[in-house]
Amino acid sequence: MIQIPSHYKKVTDLHPREEIAPGSALCAGCGGLEGLRLALKELGENVFISNAAGCFTLLSVYPFTPFRGSWLYTTMGAPVPAAQGVRDALDIQRDQGELTEEDDFQVMVVAGDGSSADMGLSPTSAAIHRNLDFIYFCYDNEAYGNTGFQLSGASPYGSRTQTTPVTKDHPAGAEMRKKDLFEIWKSQNPPYIATVSPREPIDLSNKFAKAKILKGPRLFICLSPCPPGWGFDPRDTHVIAKLAVDTGIFPLKEYVDGQVVHTRVPRKRIPVEKYLERQKRFRHLFVPKRQDEIIQKIQDGVDHYWEHYS
Amino acid sequence: MLRVRSHGRGGQGIKTASQIMGTAAFLSGYQSQDFPLYGAERRGAPIVAFTRVSQKTILERGPISLPDLLLIGDETLLEDPQAAPICGSDEQTVLFINSEKDPQILKGSFNLPSLPVTCGLTKLCLQYLNDGMVRSTALGAAGARLTGRISLEDLLESVEIELDVMGIAGQPLQSNLDLVREVFGALNPVTIKEREESALSPSKLMVLEQKEVQDAAPIITATRNMVQRKTGNWRIHRPEIDYEDCNNCMICYARCPEGVIEMDPEGKPVIDYDHCKGCMICAQECPKHSIKTLWEMDYELEPQ
Amino acid sequence: MNSNLNKKRMLTGNKAAAWGARLAGIEYVPAFPITPQTEIVETLSQWFADGTLQGKFTNMDSEHSMFMAAGAAAATGVRVFTASSSQGILHGLESIYTVAGWRVPFVMVNVSRALATPITLEPDHNDVMATRDCGLIQLHAETCQEVLDFVLMGYKIAEHPLVSIPVLVNLDGFVLSFSREPVMIPDEKAALEFLPPFKPVQPVFRASQPMARASAVFGGGTYTYFRIQQDLAARQAETVFNETAREFAERFGRTYEPVERFHVDDAEVVFVMSNSFATKGKSAVLKLRKQGIKAGLLKLSMFRPFPGEAIANALAGCQKVAVIDQNLAPGMGGIIYPEIVTAMYDKKDRPKKILSVVGGLGGKDIKEDDFLSIVERLNDSESKRPLYLFDEGDWSQFQQLQKIALV
Repeated sequence: MIQIPSHYKKVTDLHPREEIAPGSALCAGCGGLEGLRLALKELGENVFISNAAGCFTLLSVYPFTPFRGSWLYTTMGAPVPAAQGVRDALDIQRDQGELTEEDDFQVMVVAGDGSSADMGLSPTSAAIHRNLDFIYFCYDNEAYGNTGFQLSGASPYGSRTQTTPVTKDHPAGAEMRKKDLFEIWKSQNPPYIATVSPREPIDLSNKFAKAKILKGPRLFICLSPCPPGWGFDPRDTHVIAKLAVDTGIFPLKEYVDGQVVHTRVPRKRIPVEKYLERQKRFRHLFVPKRQDEIIQKIQDGVDHYWEHYS
Repeated sequence: MLRVRSHGRGGQGIKTASQIMGTAAFLSGYQSQDFPLYGAERRGAPIVAFTRVSQKTILERGPISLPDLLLIGDETLLEDPQAAPICGSDEQTVLFINSEKDPQILKGSFNLPSLPVTCGLTKLCLQYLNDGMVRSTALGAAGARLTGRISLEDLLESVEIELDVMGIAGQPLQSNLDLVREVFGALNPVTIKEREESALSPSKLMVLEQKEVQDAAPIITATRNMVQRKTGNWRIHRPEIDYEDCNNCMICYARCPEGVIEMDPEGKPVIDYDHCKGCMICAQECPKHSIKTLWEMDYELEPQ
Repeated sequence: MNSNLNKKRMLTGNKAAAWGARLAGIEYVPAFPITPQTEIVETLSQWFADGTLQGKFTNMDSEHSMFMAAGAAAATGVRVFTASSSQGILHGLESIYTVAGWRVPFVMVNVSRALATPITLEPDHNDVMATRDCGLIQLHAETCQEVLDFVLMGYKIAEHPLVSIPVLVNLDGFVLSFSREPVMIPDEKAALEFLPPFKPVQPVFRASQPMARASAVFGGGTYTYFRIQQDLAARQAETVFNETAREFAERFGRTYEPVERFHVDDAEVVFVMSNSFATKGKSAVLKLRKQGIKAGLLKLSMFRPFPGEAIANALAGCQKVAVIDQNLAPGMGGIIYPEIVTAMYDKKDRPKKILSVVGGLGGKDIKEDDFLSIVERLNDSESKRPLYLFDEGDWSQFQQLQKIALV
């Protein structure tokens, strides 16, 4: 059993230092950036980030970097193998006595849901198989955001993306269910998996505090409300993030010691449509005509999930 | 050849404005070409788009460095060294600025090459579209009108075509068309002189020396130098903390994705306006509603 | 030379590659199997497992992952080796381009094998030609000895401060990868003197030395600058190869040049070839000379950077040249052919005729008789298309197969 005190109780407990400098070209109100910001507050500066092609590639644009630590842009499919190469090289140098502990760092992958659920999944599975010692941060905005919001494996049923347009024959938009990256990882039994929300900094920080003292593959799926892609005013990023948790469509949980624990159980789940109706990507479910069947199917999915876990 | 360069911010419909002008010119019997420049920038960030209009085949491509007509959809861009909207214009360039300020003052404040034509499009957009963002139609209509080559009829048809692509129909379309009529009526065509073709002179090509790998590969050894990029110019809205009311709960600090709200030594939150992108999350999240939302444009422009 | 310093052993091309890597004191191998390369990584995995080599051998999940891990480890300051072939090269191509642009040094071996479709295991050079424009240094080996020597020299070139680019050593699948011949294995101490442990000349990833690498660029000017630098560094590798070869010759007694001239000086007809089939070409040259045809052969040991001047100097004054490409770019012909023509274009005494020959595809043999056919075609002024080395025997064999295939 892993014993870590939950040392974050209120927002003023958060590490005051900002690890990510402002000035990047990420969209105003980016939920994923808030997630990464809070994560790095906990992890500190001794972090090497291996980045997959995606929105967050814009964090470092030559000649600028927002980080105190290191950054390597890789490809869309191979941020994890790059992390493997770096980790292996550090381990080799540690064994040879050529690298001091102080000069070592936490290897972290920062990738979007497109890379995480699609192109980069096979190498990731292999890295979990190899028990690579790394933290994987997936900013999940549920589509290929950087190219203008096309369907990814993480796009939810009933959402409109640029490549799942809503038509008479396709009233739902995206017709497939979101891949469950949490369960995909869990099937390989890594030491730690968590979902986090930018709206829940205490929960997020405590999870990173726990994960950072563990070794091996550790996953964070950060639900990342995306103002332009999801279609809401940037000011509402946290409103949407909160609704995702309160409706139960995005459960906050962690997998540790072989157990899934829900870290924020909504006392009374509010109807999922309250979450859907505030986003343009779901607008077709309400106008011009309410599509009760599709809304119900989404609600059933949420209810089914929580029945399973209660 | 008439070369139009339009400047604005992501989300203001600058690309569509350039397309409205392109289609309108095409409908009026001209050859035309429009082209947006996409960078890494996002909503709120400076954006530029181009329209070329000609009676002859257009043998140009890409960005317009020397515009005949320069449309500035957002006057806050004037003081933005990264957007540098005036760059490349000369005394022959006709300047249009979406502003209610006195053209003489604007010229003096920003060292403009000529006296600009101005019109307060933002107010009109609020009036017709109930939206303070300069929408594509207003700027497109202003540009089309200034050229003196496009009829109102062709302009209206162009707006219908371009808004249809965006799924705008019904009453919103009618409001846009009314807005176009208003802008068209409010402005007069200007004389835009055809530029004389200048003789080619050779580029100063150079022979690069080979550098050692650290200087030859994309390597950044500086840290946190991103702070040098000021994203404060993205703001359309400005959050302002009412310190009388603020109880220093620091929710704003916790929720700010950019990390641009700091705690000062007295424990008060302070906004870094050089970088705040104006997402207004802080105002939305403040439990006491102690953060006001102001129009950035209402702030006096500081000349460079 | 003291015979104790060196020992000769019967080695396959693959084993020679592994020995080259071993003598280079490699510390890291990210690996993925593919025929006909597998023997290399199997050998290395054994040596890491039994303590012969110190460091780490990591079984990767694909070549795309493997080349990425190789580049990332090199950027972290260890000496890296990896190997692949054919479809694996294609699968890894994005990573190869990416890490070459990082400008990190390591050595990879490609065991040449033809590309799908149709899928086959047998050799030709389309795979290595696919990496032609990636920004790698390419050395092409004719013998098992060259494989070993080029791997060892490859590190010296890759790690040179003015190069800092991955080196690819190419050898032919089957014909060389599985052929055994006596190979002089340099003494470990001598190898270490020639190639001391890796000391990166550029910053590597360290907590005390943070850096951002390979960040996105916006604006064609910045992009162009880095690309021109890549070109300049790659070109520099020819000079560095020559320096390295001189030192290698002094220490080990074997001499290498970017191009090898075999009876070229008085030749009226020269075959341009690379890799193991150059041996067959040399034999054909000797036989043709006996038949009164003054033939010669120019072997390309270096293909990137393209040693255009060395090639032009070697072929200057020669009347007829046949470039034998063991690859095919459909719609264009042989891939090396236009490069040779380019190298000759501004030479006053350039050949009167340069013929493109395409042969040895997918393991098809190039017979000595084929060389005489090439000479005949060189004398025929009407040839516009490449000469395909496909004969009546090949045709009748194929017809028999097709009879079975089609109803």
